[in-house]
Amino acid sequence: MRAVPTTAGKGCGMRSDPARHVLGPILGSLLLFGLLVGGALAYTSTGGAARDDLATQMLINAIVVTGIGVYVGNTGVMSFGHIGFGAIAGYTFAVLAISPERKAQIIPDAPGGLAGVSLSPAVATLVAIGVTLVAAVVIGLGLTRSGARTGAISSAVITLALLFVVHEVARNWTDLTGGGRSGISFSLGNKLEGRTWIYVLLFASILVARLFRQSRVGRLAQAAREDDLAARAVGINPAAGQMIALLLSVVIVAVGSALRVYVLGVITPRFFFFEYTLITLAMLIVGGRNSVTGALLGVVVMTIGLEGMRYVAGPDVNVAALDWLLRDGLTGIFLGGAMLGFMIFRSSGLLNDWELDAWLLRRRRRRRALRSEDPRPAPESPPPQANSLATSAVTVDFGGFRALEGAHVGVEGAEVVGLIGPNGAGKTTLLNVIGGVVAPASGRCIAAGRDLTGAPTHVVARGGLVRTFQNLRLFGSLTVQENVEVAALVAERHRPARPGPDAETLLRGVGLWELRDRRARELDYGNARRLELVRAAAARPDFLLLDEPTSGMSDAESLEMIHRVRATAAAIGAGVLVIDHDLNFIIGICDRVYTLDQGKVIAVGTPEEIQSNPLVQAAYLGSALGGPRTPPGT
Amino acid sequence: MTELLQQLVDGVGRGSIYALLALGIAVIFGVMHLVNFAHGELITVSAYVSYALFTLGLHWWALVPAILVCSMLTALGIEFAAFRWVRNSSDFTMVLTSFGVHFVVQAVFIMGVSANRRTFARPSWLFETVNAAGVNLEIYDLVVIGVTLITLAATVWLVRRTMFGMTLRAAAEDFEAARLMGVRSNRVIRGAFVLSGMLAGVAAVFWLMRTGQADPTAGLTPMLKGVLAALIGGLGSLGGAVLGGLALGLVEVLLISRLPDGLVGLTDGMVFLCIALLFVFRPQGMITIRRAERV
Repeated sequence: MRAVPTTAGKGCGMRSDPARHVLGPILGSLLLFGLLVGGALAYTSTGGAARDDLATQMLINAIVVTGIGVYVGNTGVMSFGHIGFGAIAGYTFAVLAISPERKAQIIPDAPGGLAGVSLSPAVATLVAIGVTLVAAVVIGLGLTRSGARTGAISSAVITLALLFVVHEVARNWTDLTGGGRSGISFSLGNKLEGRTWIYVLLFASILVARLFRQSRVGRLAQAAREDDLAARAVGINPAAGQMIALLLSVVIVAVGSALRVYVLGVITPRFFFFEYTLITLAMLIVGGRNSVTGALLGVVVMTIGLEGMRYVAGPDVNVAALDWLLRDGLTGIFLGGAMLGFMIFRSSGLLNDWELDAWLLRRRRRRRALRSEDPRPAPESPPPQANSLATSAVTVDFGGFRALEGAHVGVEGAEVVGLIGPNGAGKTTLLNVIGGVVAPASGRCIAAGRDLTGAPTHVVARGGLVRTFQNLRLFGSLTVQENVEVAALVAERHRPARPGPDAETLLRGVGLWELRDRRARELDYGNARRLELVRAAAARPDFLLLDEPTSGMSDAESLEMIHRVRATAAAIGAGVLVIDHDLNFIIGICDRVYTLDQGKVIAVGTPEEIQSNPLVQAAYLGSALGGPRTPPGT
Repeated sequence: MTELLQQLVDGVGRGSIYALLALGIAVIFGVMHLVNFAHGELITVSAYVSYALFTLGLHWWALVPAILVCSMLTALGIEFAAFRWVRNSSDFTMVLTSFGVHFVVQAVFIMGVSANRRTFARPSWLFETVNAAGVNLEIYDLVVIGVTLITLAATVWLVRRTMFGMTLRAAAEDFEAARLMGVRSNRVIRGAFVLSGMLAGVAAVFWLMRTGQADPTAGLTPMLKGVLAALIGGLGSLGGAVLGGLALGLVEVLLISRLPDGLVGLTDGMVFLCIALLFVFRPQGMITIRRAERV
C-alpha cells in the first residue's frame, strides 16, 4: 500500500533528501548536545557541588523542555498539561523504584500491594512511560475531539484541567503519594549518581525531537500548525500528526520527569505543578518554541538568568542601595518579566524556527549553488486522466437561507470548467460542498467513481479534489519549497498510483524556484497566488478547484494566470473547476462554463454560448428578461 | 430540608462572588479574546491595600471605596503595561502574557512587602447569624447576595442602556466591524478593563472580609474560581458568566457537604474535569464568541 511508484518517485527527492532530513538533524543534534554539555562541564569544572547540581538540573530541564517543544512547537497547540504528564511519570517512577523497606516507612498502605514492589530504576522508568502514554492517549483523543489547533482555547483548558486534576489527586491520595507536604522520598544516599544516564537520555531526546521536526509526520503537523484548513485541503489529517507528536513528546517529558525525581530524591505535588509548568514554558518561548535549537537556548538563557538573580539576591552580594530590589522576589520578576517581554516584543522567541543544522546546510548549499545551477529538462507531462467529477442536486441551507438549490456541476477528464454568477449566487458554497467544508442538506458529489459527499476535507483531498482559497491560505512560516513539499508528501503516501512532476519542476513552472527559500508569508500577492496553485498541484489531484485565482490581480496578471493555470493543470493531467469574477479570464481559460444565480444553475455551455445567453445577461445586469429578482449585490 | 435551604443560601452567597469575578473575565474575553489569568491580581492588590489601610487604623467602611478605586486603577494599569501591546496577537501570546503579569505582580509583593502572610481583622458582626423560619443565615451571605444583585443590576443597565455598553456589546460581537462603525477601540477596551476592575473590586471586598489576609498568592484561588465559572458560562457570554458563578458556588457547597472526607480536596479538580469534558464533547457550544471565518 505504501509502495512508492518508480515513475513518480524518481525525481521527487523531497521525501528522502538525506542531507536535509536525516544527516543534518543527526549532525545538528550532536552539535547541540556537545555545546550544551560542553558548556555545563566548563561551568562545573570551576566550582563545587552547588554548580554540579545546577548543571544537572539544567540538563534535565533541557530534556523536559525539548519534550514539550515536540508537541507545542510542531503542532502549535497550547498545552499547560505536559507537567501534569510529568507528575504522573514522576509518581509512577518513585512508587515503583523506592525500596520496599523505605516504602514500609512512608507509604505502608499503598494500594494494590505496591508497597512491596521493587523495580530497578530503568524498569520503573519504562513502566512510568507506559502509564503516562495511556493518559496521553486519552487526553490526545479528547484534544482531537475538541478540535485542537493553533491557539485553540479549548486545548488550553483541557490540558490545564489535566494539570489540576493530577495535582489534586496527588495531594489527596495520601496512601499512594504521601500527600501534599512530605511527598515520598528515596532513602538517603539512594539517588542517581553520575550523569551518564542523563547524557544518554538528553542526547536521545534532542535527536528524536530534531528528527521528528524533519520527518514526514512532523512536517505535515507544522503545515497544519500554520493553517489547519489549508492543510486539510491538501489532504493532511491534523489529528494524526497531533497524536503522534503528543505521544512522542510525552515519552520525552516522562523520561525527564523520572530523572528529575531520581536526582532530587523526592517528589511532592508542588514539584510538578503550576510553577514548573510556567518555568518550562518560559524556557520554551524565550528560545523559540518552533525549534529544537531554540528550546535548548531558552533553557540555557533562563537558567543563567534565574541563577544570576538568585546569586544577586543571595548573601554573597550586598549592596545596601539596592536592598529593595535584591530580595526573594527577584527570580519571579525575572521569570514574569521574561515572559512579558518576549510575548510583547518578540513572541516567536529568540530563534523562532531557526535550526543550527539547517542553517549550516543552507550556507553550504548557497556556496555550491553559485557554482552550478542547471535547470533540469522538464519531464514529460503525464497523459490526461479519464476521470470525471460530478456533483448533482446539491442543496444547502444556512439557517433559513437556501444558499444552493439543486445545483450541479461536472468536469470531464482534463477540461477546464468555469463557475460564474453574481455575488451571493452560491459559487464558493458549491466549492465548499465539493471540498468537504460544508455539508449539503441533499445532493451527491462523486469524483473518479468515489462518492465523496460529506467526507472530511482531508479525505476529499486524498480522493483527488484539491482546492485553493479565495483569501489566500499559505503555510506562512514554511518556505516556498516546503509549502509544495508538504503537499507532495501527502500525494506520495495517499496517491501513489498517480504520477506527477516534483516540487522543483512545479516551482520552476511558475517562476518561484529562485524564491524557494523565502517564507511563504514574505511573498508578494501575485507570487503567493501562484504558490497556492502549485501547492494544490503538488498534491496530484484529479481535479483542481480554484476559488478566484485572479482576485486582486491586474488585467495583465490575470491573462498571464490563464497560461499558468493551463500549464500547471496540463503538467499533472488534471481537470480544473474555477470560480472567478473576471470574465476575460473565464472566457480565456474555460472549455465550458456553468452560471449560478440564487443557488441554481441557470445556464451551461461554452463561453460564447454563455455570453449570449439572455438568462445570464439578466442575472448579471438585472434586465427584465430574468423575471422579478432582487438586483445583484455589489 | 432546612439544611438544604441553608446550603442553598450559602451556595448562592459563594456563587455571587464567583459570578462577579467571572463577569469581569467574560467582559475582557468579549472585547479582546483574552482569557485573563491575571484577573486574580486585582484581588491580590486589593488585599494589600486593605492591609495597608488597616495598619493605618482606618475602618472597614473606608476600605470599600479604596478597594474599588485601586482595583479599577490596577486593571487599567495592567492593560496599559501589558495587554495593550499584545492586543491582536495569537491567543497563545495573550494567555502567556496574563501569566507573566501574574508572576510580576506576585514578585513585586514578595519583594516589596514579604512572602509571608499578613492578616487583618475581619468585621465580626458580618459573621453573626440570624434565624429566619428555623434557618440560620449568616448576615454575610445576605449582604453578599444583596450587593451582588445591585451590582449586577447596575451592570445590566450599563451594558444595555448606555452608549458605552452598546459599544462594548458591538465590540464583543465583531470588533473589526465595530471599529469601522466608529467605535474607538482604545476606549472600549479600557472601559472593559475598568468595568472588570470594578466588578473584581466588589468581589474583593467580600473575599477579603471572609479571609482577612493578604499574601502574594492571595489572588490565585479567586482567579481560578472566576475562570472556571466563566468557562462554565461559555467565556464570552455575560449572562453565562453569572449563571456559571452561581452554579459553581452551589455545586461546591453541595459537594463539600456530601462528599466523603477523602474526596473533598478534589472538588476543584472535579469541576475542572467536567469543564474539560464539556470542551471535549461540545466545543462549538462552549465559546460563544468565536472569530467567524469565511472560506
